Amino acid sequence: MDGEKKTYGGCEGPDALYVKLILSDGHEFIVKKERALTSGTIKAMLSGPGQFAEKEADEVHFREIPSHVPSKVYALCMCFMYKVRYTNSSTEIPEFPVVPEIALELLMAANFLDC
Amino acid sequence: EPLLLAELKPGRPHQFDWKSSCETWSVAFSPDGSWFAWSQGHCIVKLIPWPLEEQFIPKGFEAKSRSSKNETKGRGSPKEKTLDCGQIVWGLAFSPWPSPPSRKLWARHHPQVPDVSCLVLATGLNDGQIKIWEVQTGLLLLNLSGHQDVVRDLSFTPSGSLILVSASRDKTLRIWDLNKHGKQIQVLSGHLQWVYCCSISPDCSMLCSAAGEKSVFLWSMRSYTLIRKLEGHQSSVVSCDFSPDSALLVTASYDTNVIMWDPYTGERLRSLHHTQVDPAMDDSDVHISSLRSVCFSPEGLYLATVADDRLLRIWALELKTPIAFAPMTNGLCCTFFPHGGVIATGTRDGHVQFWTAPRVLSSLKHLCRKALRSFLTTYQVLALPIPKKMKEFLTYRTF
Repeated sequence: MDGEKKTYGGCEGPDALYVKLILSDGHEFIVKKERALTSGTIKAMLSGPGQFAEKEADEVHFREIPSHVPSKVYALCMCFMYKVRYTNSSTEIPEFPVVPEIALELLMAANFLDC
Repeated sequence: EPLLLAELKPGRPHQFDWKSSCETWSVAFSPDGSWFAWSQGHCIVKLIPWPLEEQFIPKGFEAKSRSSKNETKGRGSPKEKTLDCGQIVWGLAFSPWPSPPSRKLWARHHPQVPDVSCLVLATGLNDGQIKIWEVQTGLLLLNLSGHQDVVRDLSFTPSGSLILVSASRDKTLRIWDLNKHGKQIQVLSGHLQWVYCCSISPDCSMLCSAAGEKSVFLWSMRSYTLIRKLEGHQSSVVSCDFSPDSALLVTASYDTNVIMWDPYTGERLRSLHHTQVDPAMDDSDVHISSLRSVCFSPEGLYLATVADDRLLRIWALELKTPIAFAPMTNGLCCTFFPHGGVIATGTRDGHVQFWTAPRVLSSLKHLCRKALRSFLTTYQVLALPIPKKMKEFLTYRTF
């Protein structure tokens, strides 16, 4: 730690707490690994045998998802947090609100991410 | 497996009275989940605040098995209301009580959301009358006359516009406007036998009714005209329900089947057969699996059915066989708690039971589908520029 830049726990190695999600136009999101794993696709990309280069550093490239629809990306991140919070929870689960205007694009992203 | 959480029985046992019967024909939760209504036979309806007070729930119910259910009779909470309807009560329906955000949403599509602040319960009676009660106080507000025979089922429009639909053994359905002192605004004729049930789609566009002559009718809630007839059942159709996004309709019949339909196209998507659990039993008793009631879970992924073979069944949307069973004798009706987690059932002896319902976290895909289908018809989905597999998913064809 050289004090110049705040660094997070790190996205490399098997004990990495965070993963980096890189969208098609280069925007990067650093998300807690536990949350990102709620997506079946990301889970497969991070742990599957060899085919995905992502296994080396915990980075996942999404060549199909651009960042120009911030609401969609935001909704995806919120969804990850929602799932981690309420999976196996005994408390009443409030419904995650999906705004109708972005529902179709969000569905495409959810389909791709299998979540 | 659904666990029995609690069972309520009517308080004082009544002398046999030829004018009344003890069946619980209907049970209902208010849409905001704060009240439970139970027609407990002998012309009485109990309004119970939800959640139930401590005294009704056995301690540590998670650990109890079905056989050691704790029963309690007698004294209810002081906030309970008892409605003496004077005749056998067949149908029950709460009005919606929209919370401020959804009122704005509905006002966009339905300009006549009234400025009403009270929650009401409609009760359908033996001689065709409908009594409207104010829930908070238990006071009788209105008496609607018109039907000539038992009012078997009632349904309010989910938008909160205080339009009430009633279904009767006089073979008609009637539309009432509670904003105009219960004025009867339409009579829907066409059924040939007793109308057993009615249900309005959550988007308020369609009304489903089903009757003794085996047919299911779909009516437009905008023009009050018949859209189509759904044929397929082999006996009286006694219960119907729409999915929360209005994309699916399920109907239950004495023919032992539940049929799932696409209400926009009239296509049959699926039949759920209620056969004997134990195959060693005599096949000739298959008629005792007559269905009594079917309902969707609030997130739209499960169905609960009550049948004459003494079983409450839970079905997952995409599977052909039930995922869970619970024994219940003389079951007549069922309904889910609006926020999920609990199913209420009513029986011939006037008892109600509360069961644990499967708790599931909807996938993001399903949440998106629900959001989209809440305003898109099947035809609009088919016209979208998306892959075929996605259309199949959105139209619930992926079984």
